[in-house]
Amino acid sequence: MTRISRRGVLLGSLAVPMLGMVRLAWAQSGEVTISHYFTGELGLKAFNEQVAKFTEATGVAMKDSPVGHEDFKTDILVRAAGNSLPDVFSYWAGARVQFIVDSSALHPIDEMWAANGLDAVIAKPVADSATLYNGKRYLVPFNYHYAGMFYNVKVLADAGMTAPPATWDEFLALCETLKGKGVAPIALGSKNRWPAQFWFDYLLLRTAGPDYRAKLMAGEAKYSDPEVGAALAMWKDLFDKGYFVENANADDWTDASDKVARGEAAMTLMGTWITGYWNGNGLVPGQDYDFFEFPRVADGVPNAAVGPVDGLVIAANAANVAGAEQFLSFMVSDAGVQAAWANAQGALSANVNVDPTIYNVVMQKAAATVAAADAFAFNYDLSTPPPVAEVGLSMFTRFIDDPSQAEAILAQVATDAEAAFKE
Amino acid sequence: MEQHNRFWRIAFLILPLAVFGLFVVWPLFSSFYYSFTNWNGFDPDYRFVGFDNFAKIATDRLFLQAAINTTIWMAAAIVLPTALGLMLALLLDSRVAGARVFKSIFYLPICLSAVIVGQIWTWIYQPDWGLLNTVIAQVTGDKFNYPWLAKPDSALWSVIVAWSWQQTGLSMVIYLAGLTAIPGDLLEVCEIEGASPWQRFRRVVLPLLAPSTVVVVALSVINSLKGFDILYIMTGGGPFNSSDTLAMHMYNESFKKYLMGYGSAISVVLFLIALAIIGLYFRQLRKVDRIYG
Repeated sequence: MTRISRRGVLLGSLAVPMLGMVRLAWAQSGEVTISHYFTGELGLKAFNEQVAKFTEATGVAMKDSPVGHEDFKTDILVRAAGNSLPDVFSYWAGARVQFIVDSSALHPIDEMWAANGLDAVIAKPVADSATLYNGKRYLVPFNYHYAGMFYNVKVLADAGMTAPPATWDEFLALCETLKGKGVAPIALGSKNRWPAQFWFDYLLLRTAGPDYRAKLMAGEAKYSDPEVGAALAMWKDLFDKGYFVENANADDWTDASDKVARGEAAMTLMGTWITGYWNGNGLVPGQDYDFFEFPRVADGVPNAAVGPVDGLVIAANAANVAGAEQFLSFMVSDAGVQAAWANAQGALSANVNVDPTIYNVVMQKAAATVAAADAFAFNYDLSTPPPVAEVGLSMFTRFIDDPSQAEAILAQVATDAEAAFKE
Repeated sequence: MEQHNRFWRIAFLILPLAVFGLFVVWPLFSSFYYSFTNWNGFDPDYRFVGFDNFAKIATDRLFLQAAINTTIWMAAAIVLPTALGLMLALLLDSRVAGARVFKSIFYLPICLSAVIVGQIWTWIYQPDWGLLNTVIAQVTGDKFNYPWLAKPDSALWSVIVAWSWQQTGLSMVIYLAGLTAIPGDLLEVCEIEGASPWQRFRRVVLPLLAPSTVVVVALSVINSLKGFDILYIMTGGGPFNSSDTLAMHMYNESFKKYLMGYGSAISVVLFLIALAIIGLYFRQLRKVDRIYG
């Protein structure tokens, strides 16, 4: 009979965790670790295909750990707190990147940027707004999105729309016509809060202008200002007139998109990722769906476009900085990768070498709309620091639940936001 | 021989103790440590802020709301599965036809993960095509699309119902085991002496089920303290924090607002509450042991 020796048991109990550590160390050599939120309807398959192109071109292996979009916001913080950030991760340009740059958690990429001539590759407006933090570059824009009023072509044609509403009055008239026909004019799925933010963004940008909004986002203006009150009053007016679908807080953005696709609602204010979702469901761009710009409201206010920039960043303590920089440069510079990724995800590329004709008709229009805009603003939760964004996002759902409480809600938010800016 | 045994005891304890230390003790002390800092989760340059985080708790409106919700959640999580479990156990113990099948059916939900239960009930509560509203609309004949999980008045209670649905099976099984331990002749004596069914239940069955009740209540308390996942799946603490519990509030402050220091302070308070409850439980357990043990 084989006897198990004491020494054997002790050595065994030590060897098992040691083996794990050796395996970890071996796994880390040479390869680049990455975590990202491009999952499910946001294009995991297409992302992996682009990563495979990088590995094929450079021989550098990538070890990825995708996390669902909403869960990623938590997951990356857990990994940061545990000092185990991956070498590369996807992140949203704007206040969130600023937050982690201020926390010294990112690796600056100025040298890589210059060495690879990225100034000549990335559109200047996006480069200026999304990549520079405290005077240094930290992010490459992997793609960007634009938020517009996406609609069901047939429903709006049935309502007699021949040209998109250019003014607020025309927009209200269109909503009234739709309502008269028994169609909910506007779908909104604010269960996860963020889909509501585009309404606040555009109403504030179209009435108070981009400069005032930038001040509000930075804590230099207050939520008790008349500008914010006026924007919320306009939003309330739409609810009072019954233009929004019922129970918006019970739906997710895909539920709202489905309502528009099925013709139960006419339009939804959403980012261009909706095109990826709809295309995946067999809808034809330009034929089944299209979009128009959020209507102008006040004269003399610069025309701003709203949207997020999905970026790739390198952790300050990345184990494989050289490989990570190589990855960032390749993913943003390679026009083939950028074109395939943008098309698969329903996004726009910031790479100037990407031929605009690769986009479908709707995305071509979106690219032209952003190019013609006076300003590009990140959406609410990417424009203001995370503790404040939490206050604002909850404000939107509370307002949607009971718009008649708008004034009381704003008074509370003014106090809470002021405290959150001090965090 | 004794020394030989001692060696093996220690040898086999090394790994579990190391795991316990790494994943329970160390994070616990880390939370205590960070609760006195302004750490945001990313920044290695945090500073000590003394008791500031604990002082902030006292004035935090959302903490108060979460504390009230936690009290409601725990009270309901103890009372509902315990009462329903006892009722089902009494019914199924009285030799109804198909009792074994019903026992399996009622026990089934406890085998599901909270995430699956949360998803099933999210569908049941869906305003436009969910089972609940469809049934109500069929019965009343009117359109009914109340958004159970999206209204501040109903969100928490809707999750409590889903939670009770899952937990009742566990209470039922423990009570069924307790009922089999009650001597049949004792119940026979009750009948001969002319006790009514209610008197028999109130004076004989219920007191003899006390050990089972202690176990059921203890498990309900412990499970309800851990009841984060089902809330996270069904409401995420929403709408606008109306169904936040302390665990959810701690999560939001730490991971959504990036206030790790403050979130840690909330976790310390939550730990102390749990400690007090578990202390009470052990005291009660000792008392029951003395009486029945």
